[in-house]
Amino acid sequence: MAENTDKMVIDGVELTGIWKEFLPSRILYEDVTTEFLDEVKKLPGGATIAKCYQCGTCTGGCTLPDFVDKFNPRRFIDLVRRGHYDILVNENKDLVWKCVSCQRCTHRCPRGVNTQEVVRAIAKFLEDRKVFGKLTNDEAFDEVFMGEVIEDGRIDEVKIVKDFYSKTGRLKDMMRADQLSLGFKMLTSGRIKLFGGKIKDWKKVSQRLKEELQ
Amino acid sequence: MKTVLVIGGGVTGLKAASELAGMGYNVSLVEKEDYLGGQVVKHKYYKLAPDLRPAGDVIDPVIKAVESNSNIKVHKHSRVVAVSGNAPEFKAKIKNSKGESEETFGAIVVATGFEHFDPIVKQEYGYGRFKDVVTNSEVEEMLNPNGPTKGELKRPSDGKVPKKIAIFQCVGSRDKQVGNPYCCRVGCVVSTKQAIEIKEKCPDSEVYVYYMDMRMFGRGWEELYGKAMEDYEVIFTRGRGAEVTLKNQQLSLRAEETVMNRPIQHSVDMIILAAGIAAGDGTIDAAKVLGIKQNDYGFLAPKDDFLSPNESSKAGIYIAGADKGPLDIENCIVEGAAVAAKVASNLKN
Ligand SMILES: Cc1cc2nc3c(=O)[nH]c(=O)nc-3n(C[C@H](O)[C@H](O)[C@H](O)COP(=O)(O)OP(=O)(O)OC[C@H]3O[C@@H](n4cnc5c(N)ncnc54)[C@H](O)[C@@H]3O)c2cc1C
Ligand code: SF4
Ligand code: SF4
Ligand code: SF4
Repeated sequence: MAENTDKMVIDGVELTGIWKEFLPSRILYEDVTTEFLDEVKKLPGGATIAKCYQCGTCTGGCTLPDFVDKFNPRRFIDLVRRGHYDILVNENKDLVWKCVSCQRCTHRCPRGVNTQEVVRAIAKFLEDRKVFGKLTNDEAFDEVFMGEVIEDGRIDEVKIVKDFYSKTGRLKDMMRADQLSLGFKMLTSGRIKLFGGKIKDWKKVSQRLKEELQ
Repeated sequence: MKTVLVIGGGVTGLKAASELAGMGYNVSLVEKEDYLGGQVVKHKYYKLAPDLRPAGDVIDPVIKAVESNSNIKVHKHSRVVAVSGNAPEFKAKIKNSKGESEETFGAIVVATGFEHFDPIVKQEYGYGRFKDVVTNSEVEEMLNPNGPTKGELKRPSDGKVPKKIAIFQCVGSRDKQVGNPYCCRVGCVVSTKQAIEIKEKCPDSEVYVYYMDMRMFGRGWEELYGKAMEDYEVIFTRGRGAEVTLKNQQLSLRAEETVMNRPIQHSVDMIILAAGIAAGDGTIDAAKVLGIKQNDYGFLAPKDDFLSPNESSKAGIYIAGADKGPLDIENCIVEGAAVAAKVASNLKN
C-alpha cells in the first residue's frame, strides 16, 4: 500500500511523473544569496540598501513609471537583496539606469534609504559586470557629452540624444512613438531647441583643448 | 497614610487613582483639561476595537469609580508646575486658573498619555491642503452619534457621504523622515475597526486599506482583520501610500501594489490617515517639571524595561500607560493597576 516514495501509482499508472512533465517547476530558487547585496553596499551610494523594508513608497511616487513601463526602484532593491541576478539582468538592466535623479524617493523614504543613490549603485553594479555590452551607457554618454563640449563648447540637446542612442546601437529606440512624442512635447514647450546656438570663435578654444587633452 | 499624586486623568491615571484609593490611600488627581477620560473622551471614541463595544461601557465606569470615591481629590484644569523634595516626601505646586496650592505627597504617578501625530508634516499626503483628507481621530468623532456629524461619515468638503474611501496606515509612524521610527501599535486595529464601521453604515461603500504590515497582535485583533476581509470585503493593498493629489476635482492617490510590482493611481472620495502616536506636550512638560528621563522619542523611560517597568529614573516617581509609548486601552488599564500595586508596596516598606 502507501509506500514512502514520491511516486503515486493508481491503477498501474504512475501519475506524479506525468504531472511533472506537464508542469514546469515554478520554483524560483533554493537559496537566497547576499553576495550581490554585499557588492552593492560597497559601491558609492549603495550603503543604505539594507535599510529598505519594501514599503513601495519610492515606486508609488516615482516620476518614471508614467513613462517607463516596469521601472520599479523597490523591486530593483529586492532583486539585489535576494540575489535574483538573472531577473535583474534579463528584465531590468535596461530600466535601472533610466532614473532621472529627481530625488522624490530619497526625500520620502521612511527608512532613510538614499534610494536614488542606491538605484545608481545598482546600475553601476550592472555596468561593472559588463551586462550592457562593450561600451556601458554611462561611458557612452560621457564620451558623447565630452565630445560635444570640446567640439562646440556647449550641448545641443537633440544632437546629444541622437549621438548617444547611435553610439549605444539603439537608434531604433529613439524613433519609438513614446520617445518622439516626448521629444515633441519638450520642443513645443520650449524645453529643448532643435539647433543649439554657436559659440563665437570656439574653434580656437577647441583646438587648444584638443592639444591639451592629447 | 501618605497621599499619592496622580498626574493625568486618562484611562491609566483614573485606574491607578481608584486602585490606590481602594487600598486606603488618599489621592490627588491632576488633569490639565476640564474633563476626565483622556484621548478616549477628547476624540469622542464611539466603539472600541476589537469588540466594537461602546467606548462609554469602558470609560464611564472608570471615571465614575474616581468621581464617587471620597479618598480622591480631582483637580481639573490644573497643572503641576513645580516639585521639590525626595521620596517619600515630595512637595508639589498645583496651579489652576484660581491660583496655586502646595501639597505634600508620598509618591507621584505620571500618566500623561500621548498626542496624535499631526500629519500636516507629511506634505505629500495633502492633509490641511485637501479638505477630504482626514485623520483617524476625526473619523472617530464623526462616527459618534454625539459628534459633529451626528454619527454620519461625511466629506468635509461638501457634506456628501463618500463612496470610495482609502485608509493610509503608518502615518507618522515607522517613519524616520519625521523622527518616529517606532510602530504606533493601535493604528492597524483602529483602521480595521473603522473600515468595518463604515461598511456597516454604508454597505455599498468601498474601503481600501494601504498598509505595509497589518500588525494584529492584541486580543481578538487578528480575528477582526479576518472579519473585515471575509464579511465586509474591505480591500487590503500591501503598499504604503506614496502621495495624494487632486485630479479633476477628485482625490487621487498613488502607491505601489507591491505584490504586483506596479505603481497604482486610485481615485477616491475621501482619505483617512491612520495618524500615529507621539509623546504629547503634557508628557514632555511633566518630564521637565519632575526631572525624569525620556527616551529618544520623548516618551517616559522606565528605570528598567523588564524589571521595573513602572518606575521612572527617580525614586518615588512612577510612570504608566501611553506616556511610556503607544499602548491600547486594555493594557493601559493593566498598567494603571500595576503602578498602583507598585506604589502601595513601596510606600509600605
Ligand atoms: C484614533 C485612535 C483610536 C483608538 N481606539 C482604540 C480602541 O478602539 N481600543 C483601544 O484599546 N485603544 C484605542 N486607542 C488607544 C487609546 O487611545 C489609548 O490606549 C489610551 O487613550 C491611553 O490612555 P492614557 O490614560 O495612558 O493616556 P491619555 O488618554 O492620553 O490620557 C492622558 C491624560 O493626561 C492629561 N495630561 C497630559 N499631560 C498632562 C499634564 N502635564 N498635567 C496634567 N494632565 C496632563 C491629558 O489631558 C489626558 O487627559 C486609540 C488610539 C487612537 C489614536
Ligand atoms: S521607500 Fe525606502 S524603504 Fe520603501 S521600498 Fe523604497 S527604498 Fe525601500
Ligand atoms: S530619483 Fe529616480 S528612482 Fe527616485 S523617484 Fe526619481 S526617477 Fe524614481
Ligand atoms: S500599528 Fe499598524 S498603522 Fe500603526 S505603525 Fe504599526 S503597522 Fe503602522
